[in-house]
Amino acid sequence: MIQSPPVTAEIPLDTATEKLVATDVDVFYGSFQAIKKASLTMRGQHVTALIGPSGCGKTTFLRALNRMHDLTPGARVEGSILLDGEDIYGPDADPVVIRHRIGMVFQRANPFPKTIYENAVYGPRIHGERDKRVLDEIAERALRQAALWDEVKDRLNRSALDLSGGQQQRLCIARAVALNPEVILMDEPASALDPIATSKIEDLIGQLTEQFTVVIVTHSMQQAARISDFTAFFHIGEIVEVGPTNQIFTHPKEKRTEDYITGRFG
Amino acid sequence: MALTTVPSARSVAATANVRARKIVDYVATTVLWVMATSIIVVLAAFIGYMIYLGWSALTPSFIFGMPKEREAGGGVGPEIYNSFYILILTLIFTIPIAISAGVYLQEYARRGKFREIVQFSAESLATVPSIVMGLFGLLVFVYTFHWRYTALGGALTLTLLNLPALLRVTQEALSSVPDTLREASMALGGTKWQTITRVVLPSAIGRLTTGVVLIAGRIYGETAALIFTAGLSVTVNSPYDLNPFHTAETLAVHLWYTHSESSVADVERIGNGSALVLLIMVLIFNVAARVAGRALTKRFTGRAS
Repeated sequence: MIQSPPVTAEIPLDTATEKLVATDVDVFYGSFQAIKKASLTMRGQHVTALIGPSGCGKTTFLRALNRMHDLTPGARVEGSILLDGEDIYGPDADPVVIRHRIGMVFQRANPFPKTIYENAVYGPRIHGERDKRVLDEIAERALRQAALWDEVKDRLNRSALDLSGGQQQRLCIARAVALNPEVILMDEPASALDPIATSKIEDLIGQLTEQFTVVIVTHSMQQAARISDFTAFFHIGEIVEVGPTNQIFTHPKEKRTEDYITGRFG
Repeated sequence: MALTTVPSARSVAATANVRARKIVDYVATTVLWVMATSIIVVLAAFIGYMIYLGWSALTPSFIFGMPKEREAGGGVGPEIYNSFYILILTLIFTIPIAISAGVYLQEYARRGKFREIVQFSAESLATVPSIVMGLFGLLVFVYTFHWRYTALGGALTLTLLNLPALLRVTQEALSSVPDTLREASMALGGTKWQTITRVVLPSAIGRLTTGVVLIAGRIYGETAALIFTAGLSVTVNSPYDLNPFHTAETLAVHLWYTHSESSVADVERIGNGSALVLLIMVLIFNVAARVAGRALTKRFTGRAS
């Protein structure tokens, strides 16, 4: 296999916007190496899309970014991932703090079997917020940011499980933004949704970049093209190419990238 | 534009093959329905017969009166109280231990030797016959601790008896909570403990309630484990006190005792009445526990189910 050039160097980057910088990241499940020397810079208040065929490691890479692999027995992450210059795998780094600053939205909507309100304020609650008025404000702000407020404001005390799939996923986004994270990681957040719900989520992601840095795994190249500013193409555990999204889709530098986006494999 | 209809060689009517398959379907449905219905019939007949036999015995003097050793007309007031008292005492011990152990095994313990040993011990404990557990209680609480026959000794023996069952229920309840919920909580910066107390246990509350109801039924009905530990008599001076060191014959034990050991004249009446009271108590507890479980579920999940 052809060794990829050090891809991060290819994007002209203003250092002030290097929100999350992964350098030579390896992820192992037991003795199996799922990610090999992946380096990627995710810029602040932009959307970085991770694309690639199934099993290429994009979700594995995403989950390294908020230390979710800590929860998987046998999983191991090497290399460095800097959040504003601090290594999240460093000796002083605490996963609770990291996950407070880096939120996550999962592939399948996974609201808690609680009320809509309790879902929205779960994060602030576990981080110690008790003031009912503050929680009310957070719930409203988060639900508005997730474009869900108007649909649920009259039934905040109903179960989140009574919502439709698309609403549940927006509730999960609200639950993440309620903590005011700096980065939001999204793992194919629309893959289980119908086209209308998908387009709502996509619109939402565009709005979220006003405040947040978004890293999104997606199966859909059209989706990556529509919503992202930067795209990284993963193949068999490696980042083959990364660059501004329109460049990746119009003038890919690597043969494998071109083959993938033109539909020759994947 | 009018479209023409072309007659097809195939028909939409049922063929012999389809008819045969539908007969199998019909027969299977009928058999299953009969089986399911027979459970209801057996239960209804059982309850009906018990009510028929026991109804006349249910007088205030029977339900609230003191038991008698020889003459007729004894009541079961203290026994009803003791059944309830020992139930509560047993649940106070069993629930925290079983749920804590279940949480540890399911949420914390790595798959390894220690976990296997605990699991194996619990399963072994579950197979110990209740009479053996009763003799163990006799040896430990009555002889070694010199407690004599006590409600506490009975409750601790019942705790040993029911711990494995509730542990199992807890493990299954916890494993039915999807990992995606645990991940969601951890991804929001929740600690493991917060995840367990705020997400996992509340999600499992319905199944846990069912488990508690099941063991409560067993505790009400248990005799062998109590005969040698909680005793065969009630505390005559203060039958309704809260002292756990008083002897405390339960209703189920009383039922067994009057039938096999005592010399009262109205054995039949007391037996039938006790059986009916026992049944009613179990039903009341089941309904109450379900109502409570539903209220808890509603409170934690915002959803009635």
